[in-house]
Amino acid sequence: MTKLPAEESRHAVLGLRSPLTPLQTAAKARRFGAFYYADMWIRRMRGYQWTVLMTAVGTPLVYLLGMGTGLAVLIDANSDAGFPGGNGSTVSYLVFLGPALVATAALMVSSEENTYTVMGGFKWHRTYYGPNASPLSSGQIASGHVLGLAFRLLLTTGIYYLFLLLFGAVPQPGTGWLMVFTALLAGLAFGLPLLAFSATLKEDKGQFAMVQRFIVMPLFLFSGTFFPLDNLPLGVRWIGWISPLWHSTELGRVLSYGHPEPAAMTALHLAYLLAPAAVGLVLGRRNFTRRLDG
Amino acid sequence: MSTQNSTATTSLVPRDRFLGSLYGRNTRAVIARGLKATWGTNWSIMVSGFVEPVLYLVAMGIGLGALVGTVTGPGGAEMGYANYIAPALLAVSAMNGAVYDSTMNVFFKLNYARLYEGMLSTPLGPLDVAMGEIFLALLRGAMYATGFTAVMGAMGLITSPWALLMIPAAVVIAFGFASFGMAVTSYMKTFQQLDWVNMIMLPMFLLSATFYPLTVYPEAMQSVIQALPLWHGVEMLRQISVGIFSWGTAGHLLYFVVMIAVGLTATTVRLRALFLK
Repeated sequence: MTKLPAEESRHAVLGLRSPLTPLQTAAKARRFGAFYYADMWIRRMRGYQWTVLMTAVGTPLVYLLGMGTGLAVLIDANSDAGFPGGNGSTVSYLVFLGPALVATAALMVSSEENTYTVMGGFKWHRTYYGPNASPLSSGQIASGHVLGLAFRLLLTTGIYYLFLLLFGAVPQPGTGWLMVFTALLAGLAFGLPLLAFSATLKEDKGQFAMVQRFIVMPLFLFSGTFFPLDNLPLGVRWIGWISPLWHSTELGRVLSYGHPEPAAMTALHLAYLLAPAAVGLVLGRRNFTRRLDG
Repeated sequence: MSTQNSTATTSLVPRDRFLGSLYGRNTRAVIARGLKATWGTNWSIMVSGFVEPVLYLVAMGIGLGALVGTVTGPGGAEMGYANYIAPALLAVSAMNGAVYDSTMNVFFKLNYARLYEGMLSTPLGPLDVAMGEIFLALLRGAMYATGFTAVMGAMGLITSPWALLMIPAAVVIAFGFASFGMAVTSYMKTFQQLDWVNMIMLPMFLLSATFYPLTVYPEAMQSVIQALPLWHGVEMLRQISVGIFSWGTAGHLLYFVVMIAVGLTATTVRLRALFLK
């Protein structure tokens, strides 16, 4: 392609940059496509910033007050043994609960942002079609969604972690802060396969209500969130084993107060979270491409 | 509720009837339409709604129960933790169902589906619409309460025949919340405002002596909780579930009777302002 005169050099006297050709802007947008889309995603989130802030601040406060202090009175008085911590020590119920609550918050935000938001992008608000008509690739739109989601997840889990510090629920702050990221992993491990699923839906026939009721709710309740998983009979304990929430919570507990478990187990938790996130991302990008290019 | 001029005192001219401008005496048309719409589209979602409190009961009753042991229930008797939280979860489910139906659901029909505009261009009045919607919410609530009580029975958590009274009592609780819900919804303009409703319900759910006795709180906090409707619902159902009644039980019931009366009045006033301007 022959160069246009305008792009040959900077203006000799003023040193101004010559305007980019359409091809050059396109190439630039293409290079950072996912970030362009994530930027838009986050700015759109400002439309409901009060909701975001309210859930990020109000939810931790209510859960920590209700379960972390209220219920804790009952549990710490009744179970004299406490919960096993590092080096044979025991920790209180509040400390035990903390990492589970952070991971739960990530799961909830992720289930919200990967259902109606995605379907709306294709069906009602059609937010994907504008960017798709630009040099951004369909896969980059999916990745941009994931980046935006990760931003909101980190915001939520970060605020939650600060509340835990405020309530004195993190005995090892040196490693404890990493639970912000293990919680993020829970949100991605659950959310990205859901994203891939949502991208295939053409009609809202209550699938999301079913996901909420039969997947999110059981994962929340049977993932060793409010009590050790071993307290449940085997018939329902397996729900915890397959739940990203449980794996993330256990990681958080190791980081927060040195919950005793073999190193291999910790590695397994990590692998269990990374695998579905990676598969979900690949499938999500593929499904976005099929839907938008088809 | 009949549109037919069956008695000599009923007039077909609205202004001759009590509340004639608000009430077309045909609530059943709204109810029939609601039932038909539910059956046609989302009955499976509707029916499965009762699963949620059951999941809570299994997880918390068994898992958390192992940590808690026994708790002091109504009348000072020690009771198992699952027995303790089951009636509370039923009260919560009555609240959630009623609030969901009278806010989210009504908001959508009001602002997006524009369903009520269609209804009100027929001889139906706003009071027919309100009563029809509330009746549907209560029907759903009664269905869930029956299912949940059956599960409680299957799990061996029912120790007194009085426990059957939990079903009508849960409907009373749902009525209290539903009658307020529509009045609140009439003020809402955006979907995001619905999140504020959740932000009121979540603390009520977690703090209203649902999972632990009120005595763990300091005095001042206790009085705040005792002013909230859910606490009265939880306590009422808990007393009914073991069949131990006191003047307190009557007090809780009275709280809801007043709530229903105030809520219905507020809803009617708001619907008139909304539709008949």
